[in-house]
Amino acid sequence: MSIFTPTNQIRLTNVAVVRMKKGGKRFEIACYKNKVMSWRAGAEKDLDEVLQTHTVFMNVSKGQVAKKEDLAKSFGTDDLTEICKQILAKGELQVSDKERQTQLEQMFRDIATIVAEKCVNPETKRPYTVNLIERAMKDIHYSVKANKSTKQQALDVIRQLKESMQIQRAHMRLRFTLPAKEGKRLKDKLKPLLKVVESEDFDDQLEMVCLIDPGCFREIDELICCETKGKGSVEVLSLKDVEEGDEKLE
Amino acid sequence: MGHTSLEKLIRLQKKTSNIRNICILAHVDHGKTTLADCLVASNGIISTRLAGKMRYLDSREDEQIRGITMKSSAISLHFTSGESEYLINLIDSPGHVDFSSEVSTAVRLCDGAIVVVDAVEGVCPQVNAVTGALFTSKVLEERAVKEAELEGAVPEGEVPELSGGEQVYDWSAGLEETDDSHLYFSPDQGNVVFASAFDSWGFSIHQFAQIYCQKMGIRSEVLQKTLWGDFYINPKAKKIMKGAQSKGKKPLFVQLVLDNIWSLYDAVVTRRDKEKVEKIVASLGLKVMARDLRHSDPKVLLSAICSQWLPLSQAVLSMVCERLPSPSEMSAERVEKLMSVGTRRFDSLPEKTQQLKQAFLDCVSEDSAPVIVFVSKMFAVDSKALPQNKQRPLTQEELAQRRELARQRHAERQATSQIAEDPDSASAGGAQTATPTNNTNTDADALCAQTEALSVKPAEEEEEKKEHFIAFARVYSGVVRRGQRVFVLGPKYDPALTLRTLPEGCSADDTVPSVPHLACCTLEHLYMLMGRELEELEEVPAGNVLGIAGMEDFILKSATVSTSPACPPFTPLNFEATPIVRVAIEPKHPSEMPKLVRGMRLLNQADPCAEVLIQETGEHVLVTAGEVHLQRCLDDLRERFAKIEISASKPIIPFRETIIRPPKVDMVNEDLGRQQKVAVIHQAKEEQSKYHEGPQVDSGGLVNLTTPNKMATIGVRAVPLPEEATRLLEGSAELIRTMEQFSLFAREGKTLEISQKTLEQIQEFRTRLEGHLQGWKWRNAVERIWAFGPRRCGPNILLNGVEGYQRPSVWQCLEGEKEKPEAATLRDFDNSIVNGFQLATLSGPMCEEPLMGVCFSVESWEMKLAPQFTQQDSVEEETTSRQGSENSDNETRAAVSGESESGGSNEAEASSSSAGGQSRWRGDVTDCYGPFSGQLIAAMKEACRHAFQAKPQRLMAAMYTCEIMATAEVLGRVYGVLSKREGRVLNEEMKEGTDMFIIRAVLPVAESFGFADEMRKRTSGLASPQLVFSHWEVISSDPFWVPTTEEEYLHFGEKADSANQALKYMNAVRKRKGLYVEEKIVEHAEKQRTLGKNK
Repeated sequence: MSIFTPTNQIRLTNVAVVRMKKGGKRFEIACYKNKVMSWRAGAEKDLDEVLQTHTVFMNVSKGQVAKKEDLAKSFGTDDLTEICKQILAKGELQVSDKERQTQLEQMFRDIATIVAEKCVNPETKRPYTVNLIERAMKDIHYSVKANKSTKQQALDVIRQLKESMQIQRAHMRLRFTLPAKEGKRLKDKLKPLLKVVESEDFDDQLEMVCLIDPGCFREIDELICCETKGKGSVEVLSLKDVEEGDEKLE
Repeated sequence: MGHTSLEKLIRLQKKTSNIRNICILAHVDHGKTTLADCLVASNGIISTRLAGKMRYLDSREDEQIRGITMKSSAISLHFTSGESEYLINLIDSPGHVDFSSEVSTAVRLCDGAIVVVDAVEGVCPQVNAVTGALFTSKVLEERAVKEAELEGAVPEGEVPELSGGEQVYDWSAGLEETDDSHLYFSPDQGNVVFASAFDSWGFSIHQFAQIYCQKMGIRSEVLQKTLWGDFYINPKAKKIMKGAQSKGKKPLFVQLVLDNIWSLYDAVVTRRDKEKVEKIVASLGLKVMARDLRHSDPKVLLSAICSQWLPLSQAVLSMVCERLPSPSEMSAERVEKLMSVGTRRFDSLPEKTQQLKQAFLDCVSEDSAPVIVFVSKMFAVDSKALPQNKQRPLTQEELAQRRELARQRHAERQATSQIAEDPDSASAGGAQTATPTNNTNTDADALCAQTEALSVKPAEEEEEKKEHFIAFARVYSGVVRRGQRVFVLGPKYDPALTLRTLPEGCSADDTVPSVPHLACCTLEHLYMLMGRELEELEEVPAGNVLGIAGMEDFILKSATVSTSPACPPFTPLNFEATPIVRVAIEPKHPSEMPKLVRGMRLLNQADPCAEVLIQETGEHVLVTAGEVHLQRCLDDLRERFAKIEISASKPIIPFRETIIRPPKVDMVNEDLGRQQKVAVIHQAKEEQSKYHEGPQVDSGGLVNLTTPNKMATIGVRAVPLPEEATRLLEGSAELIRTMEQFSLFAREGKTLEISQKTLEQIQEFRTRLEGHLQGWKWRNAVERIWAFGPRRCGPNILLNGVEGYQRPSVWQCLEGEKEKPEAATLRDFDNSIVNGFQLATLSGPMCEEPLMGVCFSVESWEMKLAPQFTQQDSVEEETTSRQGSENSDNETRAAVSGESESGGSNEAEASSSSAGGQSRWRGDVTDCYGPFSGQLIAAMKEACRHAFQAKPQRLMAAMYTCEIMATAEVLGRVYGVLSKREGRVLNEEMKEGTDMFIIRAVLPVAESFGFADEMRKRTSGLASPQLVFSHWEVISSDPFWVPTTEEEYLHFGEKADSANQALKYMNAVRKRKGLYVEEKIVEHAEKQRTLGKNK
């Protein structure tokens, strides 16, 4: 057992290791923290700001440098800089604290943006601002999960927000035309799925304009498609039923 | 000077000729409210000792804290001059630029004004602004006033230093004087008062002339003429001679008037010479109280002496009564101006309306006269301040009754509490014996209070529900009575229309058929405005200023109230300051949104200048005149109207995106030569991956893009529009919209009637556009215009450059040609192309802001259609249902993909509606990529975006023009502030005859937040900017610029560290919208803190 004393304990500080397995061998390079993501995104263009050294290691923490022949065998070149670039681009990396933080922040904002786009204030039929949603999300202590898609999380957030504030998904405006025969029968089936029926016109065929929850769209669509054997049609008039234009409060 | 009773004031209200409606105007901090204080003190409402310190009319808490007036408030004063008694309705107005709207509301109700000018600072910009307001609202005749002000300033230069007091001149200008010379302010005209409101003295030349004519044996008329100006007295010849300054003599004014005042100041304040003071007091024949003489603060003594020697209120008010007209002397010209709205001439009004003019002029308070009242603003009052809710002093009987009641309850309570408390006190021990009795006492007190409150409670509960609004109004004719039914006329009301529809002689009591902009309401309460207090009145005769309650549901901000439907609405108030500072407001807790909305509505009503609106993005925006105004509005929202916590975010600054011609020189002014620097295509990687076929960009900027199903290829080129053309397009949005509507109707086979005048305008627009688009590049361009965008009427053009493709021109309405039936399949998809163009112009690639001044030219459009598509008509029936489903399927997908970008919602929506619309009459061919029309829209949009990116892109910033008045000393600092905020000076000129400079500059809106504040701070208030939105301007720096040539490297360094203004704006917008911003998480890799906390 080695004795941990300050003198013989070497700490790797400010180092992020990027690993890649190639040709059965493990290669590592030593990079600066918080820099690899920027490099991959293209924001950082200076390689020296990313790499601690252009050396390729077998194990960074032990300081084992990769053998030349291994490199040549696996990468087909002995240009270390080139190999480093390849590893940077494809290797698996440790996500550093700030990188994780910004990633989560970005996701948080992304979720808020999606929610703000999908939802309206049911009273005014106007959208909420992203800022307000963000604040509301903080109020309900929503924590972002890095491994779930933002869209999925956004739907989850909407559900949770409904408990604390006036919010609902913006309705979709649809128009169906159904042949007269099936019209009556289908109408009863459709009824529970519709939120608001705006107009109904029944002469030779049934024509309806209504608002629905976007979640039911597929169901309605399938219902009409199957039941009428392709004779009825559904048409989306608007994806979001929101007030448009600026309004002066008076 | 005892307190004037209300009855007396009411009595005076009836004597129209003895009423004076005046307001006090001045630059900020020149002492309007202090002067008002002195005048108020003369009525015994506040103590003379407090006058000048209390600022009685500044009733708001923040007004007191900040020391500036924020609203105009009125007070009725009583003044006796010789035989006659006057009622003076005094309105104090704010001096700060931000509250110019309040000044306008005050000015409208007055017949005259006191203009206060500080002797040290002289005439300041705000004075010019408010006097300008006076003239435009026709309170005064439109003549110059400047000359006299100058004269005033010259000999006075040294006064303030010596006296240490604040010198204030008052100029009260007559209204009815038509002779030119009478309109100048000049002391020898007798319309100037020299005063110090702080030390409460004031005099006019006239007063001193009276004094000296006896002493010196010179005729008072002569003295009055010579006491002011370049005259001196020759003691030997006992003559008054001209040319004091050239001969180095003391001017008469200094010798006779100022020397006396100086010696008084000298004795009292500087040297504190007791004996001399006594001598002066004795010689002036005054009596000073011993208490004042002994006071340690010499100012007290000074004001005690001065207020007796030269009483300020006397000087000012007597001049007001003498010089200013009474309400009954209103000029015919002013009446006509008030009655004719906008550009309408007075003669064009209906005859019945014209008859009302006489009522104005007569200003009689008889019952037969029609009631005409103008409400200039609504102000909110706490329900507690209303007189009917105020705790009145109780009468003896009531007191006795209550006492009896309380006693009974007290006894009861004591009996019960004794039983309850006995065991308690026993266990606690003797120490507590004192407390129960105390308790019971307070109990009883509370009970008392309860019973008292009970009587007022039902009323109060109702009051609590809403803030009370009181209309700030003036009666122009007739008598207003409490409970009277009247018509409320909105600003757009047209008497001619009503007179036709309404029966003869109908009054507001009848049920009236609904007429636009006309409402009936009952005047619930009438008040006399007494500064902070309100006094309830039963009726108010003509010529008076009053407050009316119960109008909040009928009047938004201002209105005309009358018993006659023939009355025209008065000209709307014209505000000097347009609201310019925008902030987005949000509640701290999202659930409080409704409260915020209600609060903002109330605020809008209470503030004449504030605007509130909800934007399409859902933001609640508050627009105010300036930062101080904004602060007040926010405080009001927080504490009065919404009563919730709110947060105001930085205003949202709009930008536009555009392209320019490739620059000829690089950043260090080196010739670029023939090398073409194609701008780095932003996010090119990301966008290309979405499409199967990337766009092909050739060196000329022509972009070819194929739809995913490889059926159509579009070639688009982006060209910058000439600046004038852009401006023309921007200005003709209305015309373009009309044209658009016409073509829309034409497509559906209907026709839209367009008036001849509009047609002419369109024709003119067309020829002017042709004039702007000259040169070989633009050959036939106007003919080939396909559409305008965004929103079909914006300043961008889509050109049809497809060979052999004919489509109806946008100028259809001019040519009147019918649409030829077109067989070509291209025509069917015409709409998709237009929609794609609309989407592309609505949000540009730089930061999703609208484009401006860009012309997209479609140069090629090829369709390789599947064979069955040509005979679509027959197929249509079968495919509709399938399509319908797939169509919408695709749209939902489009929406999802759209959401990844921020402008997504808009575009997805637009595409869906258009796609939906098309599928009905066309029938789309569907494949795995969704309906073809949708693909075409997306392809067109992408093609436009890429074409845009292939050119040098620039941001356009909204610009303010800013006019700054500054003195020479602070000119340098003004320039400093301007250049720090990227402002550009247009011109600078010296104002004739003053030492003021007028600087005109342009300033980006993005930099304007806090500009006015900084300017004032840096120049210690000597320069005040007025900002007005003017135009859009291209920011010259390229947001995507990186150094490329050697010289540029040398000059800017590798990373181009110097701040790039355009990039800064662009990134700020992208961050706000949650778009990707190319930024490093950590700038310098080596400079990170590496160790953990405890290592």
